[in-house]
Amino acid sequence: MQALMNWIVNTPASYFVTTWQWAWPICESLHFIGLTLMAGTVGVFDLRLLGLAKGIRPVAMHGLLRLGVAGFGISVLTGLLFISGAPDQYFYNSAFHVKAVCLALMGINVVLFYRLQFSAVAAMGPHDDAPLPARVMGAVSLVLLIAVMCAGRLITFYRPPGIIY
Amino acid sequence: MAFLVAIEQSALGVWIRETPSVFAFPFILFLHTLGLGIVVGVNVAINVWALGFAKRYPIGPLQQLMPVMWIGFAINAVSGVLLLVAYPAKALTNPIFYIKLGLIAAAVVLLTWLGRQVFAGVDPGRVFVPDVRVKAAAAVTLALWAGTIGTGRFLAYTHSVLMATDVLN
Repeated sequence: MQALMNWIVNTPASYFVTTWQWAWPICESLHFIGLTLMAGTVGVFDLRLLGLAKGIRPVAMHGLLRLGVAGFGISVLTGLLFISGAPDQYFYNSAFHVKAVCLALMGINVVLFYRLQFSAVAAMGPHDDAPLPARVMGAVSLVLLIAVMCAGRLITFYRPPGIIY
Repeated sequence: MAFLVAIEQSALGVWIRETPSVFAFPFILFLHTLGLGIVVGVNVAINVWALGFAKRYPIGPLQQLMPVMWIGFAINAVSGVLLLVAYPAKALTNPIFYIKLGLIAAAVVLLTWLGRQVFAGVDPGRVFVPDVRVKAAAAVTLALWAGTIGTGRFLAYTHSVLMATDVLN
């Protein structure tokens, strides 16, 4: 772990994010913009599975998800920059651990959705109700999205004391 | 400044700032982030739909997202005021805070106008192709929300005063 952190803090990414004074707030802004892109695409698709905005076929709304994936990419890249700047502040941080677990659960939920429910959801008409398993997965996705935001926002309050490397 | 000190030293201000519980200041910050996700998320869906998807699929049903957005807006108005009560001088002495409020006001006005164009009097089951003015409003609204997020985040890094109480002492 120590060797990994020593390597991370010597990367150019770490140098960039810790030495340029505006790098951190700019990356935070982008991290939040990525979050809103996910909320507006994944979250709204989840709401449609739960029965909101009937009149639109879920498969049409699914087209928005490309933007959600782009938002996820922005948030992952900026998130990695944060970690590169101060890895100990994340690796020894219980809020970050919770966030990482929630992100992993989100990934599992996505895989299960595409393997088990996507074909049924893609066949839905504009006013159809989603099958119960798809609705459950939509609800799980929304809860995890909110949990990721909550744990992410709390990271700064669970920082370990001092720099370890 | 005396007015700001009075807010800072109010029971509510002191409670938000000094309660060690994660359910005080940190939880209010989380609520502010949650509201941001809801408000801007709904804006992303409606405005991106107006910009591209509307020519193939009806936009009308997305009107059901508007109450969700206003819930998010209420969460952020309340959590924003609570954060302001905890550190009034930090925001009110920073010009960026007023830029942020202006961006929010402009975004709300534009989205309300856009909503009238695409939802009011339009058959929700029908495809409604937005004209260039609606598309411009959608693009500018998204840019305004991005600016709101950016200025909000920069508030934490650009304040010249944290506590009015410290300035007066």
